[in-house]
Amino acid sequence: MLGRWLNRSGSRTEAPTGSYQNGNEHLIEVREVVKTYETAAGPFSALKSVDLQVDTAEFVAVIGKSGSGKSTLVNMIAGIDRPTSGQVFVGDAAVHTLSEGQLAEWRGRNVGVIFQFFQLLPTLTAIENVMLPMDFCNMYSPQERQERAMYLLEQVEMAQHAHKLPSAVSGGEQQRVAIARALANSPPIVLADEPTGNLDSKTAEGVLQLFERLVEQGKTILMVTHDKDLSERVMRTILLADGEIVDQVVNNRTLQPFVPMQPKEPDSA
Amino acid sequence: MPSPRWRKVLRDLWGNKTRTVLVVLSVAVGVFAVGMIANTQVILSRDLAQSYAATNPAHAILSIEPFDESLVRAVRNMPEVQEAQGGRSYWVRLKTGPNGWVNFQLFAISDYDDIQINKVWPESGAWPPQRREVLLERSSVGPTKAYVGDTVLVEIPNGQQRELRVAGLAHDLAQVPTAFWGGAYGYVTFDTLAWLDGPRTYNTLYITAAENAFDREQIGRIAERVRDRVERSGWTVYRMEIPEPGKHWADDVIQALLLVLGALGFLSLILSGFLVVNIVTALLAQQVRQIGIMKAVGARRDQIMGMYLTMVLIFGLLALILAVPLGALAARALIGYIAGLMNFDIVSSGIPPRVIALQAAVGVIVPLLAALYPVTVGTRITAREAISEYGLGKGRFGRGLTDRLVERVRGLPRPLLLSLRNTFRRKGRLALTLATLTLAGAIFIAVFSVRASLFYELDDVLEYLNYDIEVDFTQPYRIARIEREALRVPGVVGAEGWGFSIAHRRRGDGSESESIRILAPPVGTDMLQPTISEGRWLRPGDRRAIVVTTDLLQAEPDVKVGDEIVLRIGERDTTWQIVGVAGRVGVPFAYANYPHLARIVSSVGYAGVLVVKTEQDDAAFQSQVARALEERFKRVGLHVAATMTMGQIRATNIFQFNVLFAFLLIMAILLAVVGGLGLMGTMSLNVFERIREIGVMRAIGASDRAVLQVVIVESVIIGVLSWLLAAILALPLSKLLCDAIGVAFIQKPLTFTFSVDGVLMWLVVAVIVAALASFLPARNASRLTVREVLAYE
Repeated sequence: MLGRWLNRSGSRTEAPTGSYQNGNEHLIEVREVVKTYETAAGPFSALKSVDLQVDTAEFVAVIGKSGSGKSTLVNMIAGIDRPTSGQVFVGDAAVHTLSEGQLAEWRGRNVGVIFQFFQLLPTLTAIENVMLPMDFCNMYSPQERQERAMYLLEQVEMAQHAHKLPSAVSGGEQQRVAIARALANSPPIVLADEPTGNLDSKTAEGVLQLFERLVEQGKTILMVTHDKDLSERVMRTILLADGEIVDQVVNNRTLQPFVPMQPKEPDSA
Repeated sequence: MPSPRWRKVLRDLWGNKTRTVLVVLSVAVGVFAVGMIANTQVILSRDLAQSYAATNPAHAILSIEPFDESLVRAVRNMPEVQEAQGGRSYWVRLKTGPNGWVNFQLFAISDYDDIQINKVWPESGAWPPQRREVLLERSSVGPTKAYVGDTVLVEIPNGQQRELRVAGLAHDLAQVPTAFWGGAYGYVTFDTLAWLDGPRTYNTLYITAAENAFDREQIGRIAERVRDRVERSGWTVYRMEIPEPGKHWADDVIQALLLVLGALGFLSLILSGFLVVNIVTALLAQQVRQIGIMKAVGARRDQIMGMYLTMVLIFGLLALILAVPLGALAARALIGYIAGLMNFDIVSSGIPPRVIALQAAVGVIVPLLAALYPVTVGTRITAREAISEYGLGKGRFGRGLTDRLVERVRGLPRPLLLSLRNTFRRKGRLALTLATLTLAGAIFIAVFSVRASLFYELDDVLEYLNYDIEVDFTQPYRIARIEREALRVPGVVGAEGWGFSIAHRRRGDGSESESIRILAPPVGTDMLQPTISEGRWLRPGDRRAIVVTTDLLQAEPDVKVGDEIVLRIGERDTTWQIVGVAGRVGVPFAYANYPHLARIVSSVGYAGVLVVKTEQDDAAFQSQVARALEERFKRVGLHVAATMTMGQIRATNIFQFNVLFAFLLIMAILLAVVGGLGLMGTMSLNVFERIREIGVMRAIGASDRAVLQVVIVESVIIGVLSWLLAAILALPLSKLLCDAIGVAFIQKPLTFTFSVDGVLMWLVVAVIVAALASFLPARNASRLTVREVLAYE
């Protein structure tokens, strides 16, 4: 539905046709990841030996209370944060081994990040915000960037606001622009941290429908949310509490006790 | 169309115009100062050198007893001499008002259309002058108030007065302009000179060397051969002067002045760098989240650094656009002023390309260097830190020692306490702002200290010369007679006739020094109170003993106290022992006991110089007594060549000091402007970061005035703190500047005097600058409404 623009990719993590370069069988593999922060009150473990696998074209929700470690987990996968110990593999990349510079470029090409507070650059218009990742990652020709950004804005029904600054549109509209920006370089993975947290229910529904369409197109979406009702809209729900995965629900089926997912065949994606 | 990231850079620049204007202005002030000084330096040096070379300056000047053209021809025929020219200078006095006279040095020139050495150029009016006409040197017009077409009254040495018509103006680059010594210059024919009772002979021989025109030693040897040739022909050479080849007398002074000004200009550029550091740090702090987002969507750190450094580069380029033409304009004005002061013309136009290159380099490199650290640190933040840590509460207060000290301050009104504590919240920013203002303040105080030290130095020299009036006679007169006549003049309380002679040191290698003036006061005089830095002063029984000034030691560095030196006085070589070293007077001087010198020059009981002490030592009284003395001497047939009062010497020196002071003060003001801009930047950033706090203050009832007051008082606290620090820093800095100025202008460090006036004045300036600098940010803060503040993110 989103057409060729959404599927066009540069040199980046491809959908699996077998095991990846680092031996991981899944598009996303988080292995025994621990994340400890030093705080004034002493060390705080945000993640405690977390294992997680996500396959191509999965729509996964990570649910948990505030402080449960769900944003930290997503940050690990996006390379926004580094594990204290453990490994993170995403496609062909061993994310935990990449330098900051490598991470930035890898992320720009492979991961689309959507934040709760939209985080558009206030001095750039909607279309410019969408073009920014292409600019930084040197993807597409300048002419193509413009066309592609406009196409993406059309897909999120924001074309008419393309030349407005973020401050001139509503929160829901800003989030749509943020989604278009996340798709700018046609990444195979979209990570969304509370994407509907600041939206009214109608706008949130529109965002979820958009995500579903993206999954239909083969994108992998990992969505952090504290809204348990959203679990019905996704293929799998991961429940985090105190830095540990305490439950997983696949198609409304509870797996107890938690068993890591087995590698899938490429054609099952 | 630029890509989005560059559009962001441009919009960040345009979006916060106050910030952009502040940084651009601040960098522009520094670049302006550097450009102004560099332009001035390049153009002045080039034009002065060209103008000077065009006059074909003499390589050596010999003062000789009256001689004629035959001697000139003989010297001209010497193979090592390229050109020789005779000249005659003749001292008269020119009436400038009902009671005013100035010393008037007349130069007689045989052929105005064939001046080969030290060329004098026609400026306006007639050329050459006819009989009973004079051409006035153009720098003498102001002090003499005489213009082309006027008739001036001159008094010749025998006391008679004659009228001369000013036929035109001439330009003589070789002479020290009138403003620097108070006398005047005129150019006449020998016929006119004879009518003024002057001789038809020459008394000065100008020569240029045939080879090695820029080798001073070689010229010295040629000059000695010329002197020997002249003396073999039967004439006595009184004095020999070898100017620095190719260098105008003002060149050293101008270069020294520009060096000091250039250093201050560069300092202002460095200070503007501090402002760049502050503003870029704040900018990055404000944009931490944006940096995080850019990293999250794929930006590498070097790309983000590139964006911010480009922004700084644009600041620099904008500053250049502003500063280059303004610097050139200011340089034109400065060059015009200095050229006018030093009496030469500027012929070149345009901005020298190397100055533009220098400005471009410093205007771009300094801000980039300044921004490099904050940009490096600011972009080092990881995407996670940037996204999760951003928020208010910047500028933590309460953790450090300073905070605890400030916290203990009690009993002040709440708003004042708030201002006080706010001051210390952003310690890095405060430190840079204080550094800028403190340096500006310390330089300001140092400039006043230089002035105070110069005046102290002048007072020292004037105390050294413990008399009020010096009278130079056209010939030696009996001491008893001139002292008696002087003491008859009302207001005179003491008079002494002093012996005077010109000597040359004969060095071990046979070469001779430049002229040394020997003054011989009577034994036990109290009219001279030299500061003895080494050895001792003359004693009554001393024979062949001399005390030399530090000027002489500088000119003849191989001599020291205890040494015996050979001085040629007239035709005689005499041996003297140096018994002491006295303070500087400006030219190589030596003091000897009168009886011994008088015997050597065969003028026992006679003196050509009379020094007089007056009842009161104010300038007006001294002038009045000087006039009375002149009239008295005229009545009794004693011919006065010139009189000079300490008040005149003081006034001439004060004029020179004030010129120097004005230049230094301009640079200090530029520094203060940079400091003020820095403070304005700091206060704008502080207000910007505390918008929510201001909103809270508004919500709980703070009036416009209260908000305004909190911000302005914080700024004034910074101003006062900087003043305190500046006063401390000014001590070593003043000493440093006094040493530099002293070495540059009088070849020795100035006697250091710290200016308390400067300290107090900077307090006033700092408070005013602080209040002005904070007014705009404070007004903006006071205009914020609670609604706007709550909506702010």
